[in-house]
Formats: sequence, structure tokens, C-alpha cells
Amino acid sequence: MKSLRVVCYLNQFFGQLGGEDKAGVGPQAVKGAVGPARAVEQALGGAGTVVATVRCGDNYVAEQTDKAVAELLALVAAERPDLVIAGPAFLAGRYGVACGALCAAVQAKLGIPAVTGMHGENPGVDLYRRQVYIVETGAEAGRMLAEVGRLVALGLKLVRGEPLGTPAVEGYFARGMTRHIVAERNAAERAVAMLSAKLAGRPFASEVPLPDFPRIPAPRLLKTLEGATIALVTDGGLVPQGNPDGIEPLNATRYGAYSIEGKAGLDAGQYDNVHRGYDTTYVKQDPHRLVPVDVARELEEQGAIGKLHETVYSTTGVATTLAHSARMGREIAEKLRQAGVDAVILTST
Amino acid sequence: MTPVAVMVGANRIVPAAGIIHPLGNTELSPDEEKALRRRIVEKALQALRTEVVAPTVFGGE
Amino acid sequence: MSIRLELRRSQVEALAAAANTRLSGHRLDIDLNGLRAALEADTRLSRVRLDLVHPGERCRIGRVFDVVAPRAKLDGSDFPGVLGPVARAGDGVTLALDGVSIVLTDQQAENAGMLAVIDMAGPTAALSTFGRTQNVVLSAWPASGMGRAEYLAAVRLAGLKTAVHLAQAAREAEPDAVEVFELPSPARVPAELGHMPRVAYVFQVHSHQRPTGVDEGILYGDPVRRMVPTILHPNEILDGAVLRGFMGRNATTWAIQNHPVIRALYAEHGRTLWFAGVVVTVAHATEPERVRSAFMAAELVAHALGADGALLTKIGGGAPHVDMAQAAAQCEALGVKTTLIVEDMSTDGSAEGMLLFDFPGMDALVNVGSGQHRLSFPAMERVVGADDLAAKLGGEMNATYGTLCGAIEQIGATHVMAVVE
Repeated sequence: MKSLRVVCYLNQFFGQLGGEDKAGVGPQAVKGAVGPARAVEQALGGAGTVVATVRCGDNYVAEQTDKAVAELLALVAAERPDLVIAGPAFLAGRYGVACGALCAAVQAKLGIPAVTGMHGENPGVDLYRRQVYIVETGAEAGRMLAEVGRLVALGLKLVRGEPLGTPAVEGYFARGMTRHIVAERNAAERAVAMLSAKLAGRPFASEVPLPDFPRIPAPRLLKTLEGATIALVTDGGLVPQGNPDGIEPLNATRYGAYSIEGKAGLDAGQYDNVHRGYDTTYVKQDPHRLVPVDVARELEEQGAIGKLHETVYSTTGVATTLAHSARMGREIAEKLRQAGVDAVILTST
Repeated sequence: MTPVAVMVGANRIVPAAGIIHPLGNTELSPDEEKALRRRIVEKALQALRTEVVAPTVFGGE
Repeated sequence: MSIRLELRRSQVEALAAAANTRLSGHRLDIDLNGLRAALEADTRLSRVRLDLVHPGERCRIGRVFDVVAPRAKLDGSDFPGVLGPVARAGDGVTLALDGVSIVLTDQQAENAGMLAVIDMAGPTAALSTFGRTQNVVLSAWPASGMGRAEYLAAVRLAGLKTAVHLAQAAREAEPDAVEVFELPSPARVPAELGHMPRVAYVFQVHSHQRPTGVDEGILYGDPVRRMVPTILHPNEILDGAVLRGFMGRNATTWAIQNHPVIRALYAEHGRTLWFAGVVVTVAHATEPERVRSAFMAAELVAHALGADGALLTKIGGGAPHVDMAQAAAQCEALGVKTTLIVEDMSTDGSAEGMLLFDFPGMDALVNVGSGQHRLSFPAMERVVGADDLAAKLGGEMNATYGTLCGAIEQIGATHVMAVVE
């Protein structure tokens, strides 16, 4: 079996360039193994050699990640490696994020397997665990040899295309992604067995992890309603006729901003609805059943609210990913905040 | 779908009048529908004015 | 007295067109011409075509709408409320053919992208129940002016008539297996078995995200609009009292006829648990109805059936998934421990998107995989049931598990499962 070419990535400290004073150092490569890369070489045994160690300052990567990663990719590519091993970064946050970003790019752009390692609370874990295999390490370099051993073992499996064990067995952070297998028993049989165990107080393993949504502190309305600007938003799929922004009927990644300036209401003839998750007949007949511009305008005229914001934001909320939903929500919120909006009424179906 | 809203952490939740017509009801006359819509929107305004500490559902119709 | 269903099962391994419909050993001959003429008598249909498709053929069935298992009651009371008058289901002798499925296609739907396929060869055949059965593919075209509801009712009726016609061929045959399903009323648990945990099944039979049509019989022919939870004997479900509604992927009438949860509970009944009965519900489109339904279902489970535990399933998308969870939450609040069979609802393959709900006690979940996971379909030599789409459906396809009928059954008949890594 041919000896594998491995490239290691280290930050300025582990790469022996210096401490925080060298955190701004740019990307560079040296031949052979430096610092912890020697532990990698040892763990590789005869399976491979560390042909180069690529190093960069943590601040250089943190402050201009895309540029830094592109430069690092070029250095990595020049060595024609079979495998890239970054870190371990332990609890060093900028380093962990840099390792994750580099590994993700090496996989995506160069098609080369990559592995890194860090502590569970390193921000690099949450950011990159879905795309990159990240081995769990301690907070400091105390058990480096053993941890490097796990990184190398996992890396070798990836290169050789060998099937991986579960996260618990291989030592990496569960990527939080699902894949299909074919079970021996059908779901009904598994469910009856699980319920029996639950009733008997015996242990069982649920097939779906419980969701974990961060608590969002509830903002307070700092004005009276009579002085507040209220905006209307919906995920019910309202679009102008012709859907000019191409809002997707499913898995939406886009939202539209539609002016209601000077309008007392929504004219059904000017609007359509692209949502695929419910029968949109009634909201097409009368869009106010979804976005209550008529009532909101009356409340504005009567002084019950200060102002009805002149833009309605709309997207489709069926099979929208959590990631896109959160992003669209943030973007819309930012636009509304810059426009001086105080509160939002969002209609969801 | 209020349980979903509660789960993802939406803090102020007003139950609407159904999936296919959240702010309407096709069994009502247009005037009654608009009155229903107004009541739900007014409840939403009341919710906005109310201090909450956790996902709170503001009563059904 | 209790009702007793005797299911006489005959295994079919070969299928062919012939002058008469006959079961000889494991070979089923079908009088396709006679059957077709009988089905074309329905004036709602202009034309009917029957195709036979066999496992191993490089054939893809397209425009799949539903699948039905051949069944016939000895006393003729088939699919009560739909095919004939309302009558008791779940008692007496029923003939069943295994190894044969009746695949109903939808020749009217314009957006055929929402309809499923069945592959008879390749890795996709192995993933689907119906890739391994001898299939009678029923294609019917609407008479002019037929609306959706009437057309689908006619197609389904044709499928049920075919189911009966085929199973009746086993009338004189010696069955390969006989299954007896007998469950006394919940009030009649023998004292010596009273210590066993009592388990109920909450069967959500339809979702009103799309309201049912007048002829869309689901429960003894009733379209179950605004149905409040009610109790059925499990035998009724195994014997034709419940059919799938007209819309739905990842759920077939076939699976209901072979209901995996009911069969699994029966298998353990009297051994590790007491099967306390079945509560049927529908998923509602408004919150007040959903709340009432969840509340009433839990009351039936806890107090009418006296259950210690409940297993729940759903049919449909996100709203029925949440509706089922609300019923389970109410059960847990009454001290009834629950296990739910869920479909992975994630649209980006992330574990965090699998569920749309959360409630105390929601710690026992089984999943049937995700209809949205990508699946590669190989090229085929022949396409049946979708002449207009033959060019597209005959080639390699990159679609989803939900596209493959029989890969995922929401009531738990299948083996595909999502694991989190």
C-alpha cells in the first residue's frame, strides 16, 4: 500500500512561530512535521508521512477568513496530500474556527478528506460539526498523543473509504445529520418493544433526539401602541401576481418585501400565493385572511397604533430549513429595525 | 400550530382561526369575518404590550 | 361473546393473464378481459387498462395513487360502507392473497410529480414492499367532465372490486396459513392476566389539511369530516373498515389492511401486554378542534380503555405530526406512557429538524425515516401506468424516498430508518 501524503495545519503557537504576538502572521508552509505534527507522524506509523506543515496566525484567519482559507488551500493543494489533519485546537476558539473552516474548504474545494479535533466548547464545534469530522479532545494538550492517535485513526478510515463507527465509538462529535439504514424489525415492532421497555422501567434508546432550541429573551415594547410602528410579516406564501422575487413554494431561501404604501388593503387581483403546505384557496380569495392590512390600516386611522409600516415581508413556511428560517428572520428583523419599526405581527399557517 | 411556535421559542403567540384562513372564516359573512380578524389583531396588539418571560399563548377565540 | 377474524392466507408466486380467474397452487391466473369489462361498467370511467408486472422485470410503475391487498369475505360483506352496505368488519372468514398487490394509478392528475413510483428491479425494488410482489396495475381514465373527487372515488372502487375478485379465487383453495385474531372487550380481561400492562393504539386515520370529498369513504365509508375520537376493535381495521384517504404519500391502504402496529400488538397480546384496543382520530386544521380531539382521545385511552401505555401514529405531513404529539402529551398528562412513530420531518438532513414538537414525557420515539432524503432510481426498460411520462420516468432519476411507494409507511410497516450521526 502506498504511503499516504499527509499535510498538517497548526496555528502560530503550536507551529512554533510565537504566541499572541505572532497571531497576525500570514499563511506559510514548511516541509515535514513541526510540533504536534510529529505526534501525527508517529501515529501514522508506516501508513504515511507528514510531507508538510502549514501554519498561520489565528488573528490573520479570524479577521479575513475567506482570504486566509483561500491562501491556505493553495498551500495545501501544492503538497498534493491524501489527507489533511488540522489542530488539535483544544479550547482555543480562533484556532478551532480556523481548523474547521480549513477542513471544510479542503473537503469541498479539493475533495480531500480532512479531520480536526477540539474541546466540546470550542465555538468551532457548533460551526463546523455538520460538515467536518471533529474529534473530541480535552481542554489542553495534556493527552495530546492519545487524542492525536484518534484523529489519525479516523483520518485513515476516511482516506481508505472504510465505514465509520458511531460518534461514540470513533470519538467525534455527532454531526447532527441523519442518514437512512434498513432496520431488521419494522417500525411498528420497534415501537411496541420500546413502549414495553418504557412501561417496565427498562432502558430504551429513542430514535429521535429531543430538540434543543435556545431561549430567546422577550423584548419589551418601549412605546405605547398609539406611538408604535407596527409591521406585518407572513410565512404564508403571499406574493404579488407573477411572484417577481421567485419565492420558492417549498424549502424557501428567499423572502419578498412588498409595498403597501397608500393602500387601504390588499386587492386580491394583484396577489397570489405560492405556499404548498395548505389549501391556499381562501387566502387567495381574500389575502386579508393571511395579512390583515385592512384591519391594521383602520387601527392606524383610528389611532390605536401609531403607524402601519409600509412594507410587508413574506416567505413560504413549508419545509423551510431551520438555518434559512433563522437567517431570513434575522435579515428581516434588521431591515425593520433600521426602518424604525417597533413591533411585528407575523401570521403563520 | 401553536406548540411548534412554543417549541422554537416564539414569545408571544396568538392562536389564529385555522391553517387555511388564519385571519378569516369562510363560514361567516364578510362583515363578521372582518370583525373576527380585527379581534385577533387586537389580541396580537395586546400581546405586544404584555410583558412575558417565556413563550406565552394568548388565549383562543 | 367476542368477534373472531379468521384470515386464510394463500401465497401467490406467479401471475398470468388467462381465460378465467383461478388460483392453482401458487399461481394466479386472471381473466383480465372479463375483469376490465366489469370495471368499465362504472360510467365515471371512460376506459380501464390492467397490466401485470412481475418482480425482477426492469419495469417502473408510474402515477401511483394507492396500493390495495386482495381480500374477500366469505360472506360477501367486503369493504363495508364503500363497496357494499355497512356491515360488521373483523368477524368471520376472510380470504387473503399474499405476494400480489393491486396498484392504483392516477391518470387525471396534471402535476404527476407528486405521485409515486414503484420499481420492480434494482436497489429501489429491495427498498419497497411492492417491488417484491406480483402487481396488477390498474389504470383508469375519467369519463369526460369528471371532477377529481368523483374520479378518485371511481378508481378506488375499481381497485376494491379487483381486490375482491382476485381473493375470491382462493375460495376453494387450501390456505398456506391461517391467522386468527380474537380479542375480548376491554371489560373482560381474565383476572389472572390483569397484571399485564394494558396498551392502546391511537390511530390517526386522516388529516384535514385537505378536506375529504363526499365519496372519500375512510371509516365504514364515512369521510370522517370533523370526526371526534372514537373506539374501534382492531379486527375492524384489519378487515376493511378503514381505507386511506385519496391524498397521501408514505401511506397505503395495503399497509392498513396489514396493519403493522395492530399485528405487532396482537403478537404480544397475552404474553407481555394486554392489547386494550384502538382509538381512531383525525388530524384537524383548527387549534380548537385539535385541542378537543387530543383531550378526548386521551380520555378514551386512559379511562374508557384503561390503558397504561399508548402507541401513536399519524398519516400526512406536519400538522398531523403535531396533532399526534398533542394527543400524546394529553395521554402523558393522564399518566399514560406513550411511544410515537414519527416521520423525520427535517428538510436539510439535520437531526434538529426531525421534530416539530416538544412535550414532557416525549422520550420514546421511533422513526420511519424521511420522505425527503434523496434516493437514486436506476434506468428502466419499461414504464407502466404513466404513458405520458414514460420518457422521463424510464431514465435514471434522482428523487426522494417519498417518491418510492412502499419505502416509507407512516404507520410503521417499513424498515427504513433515520439514524443520527
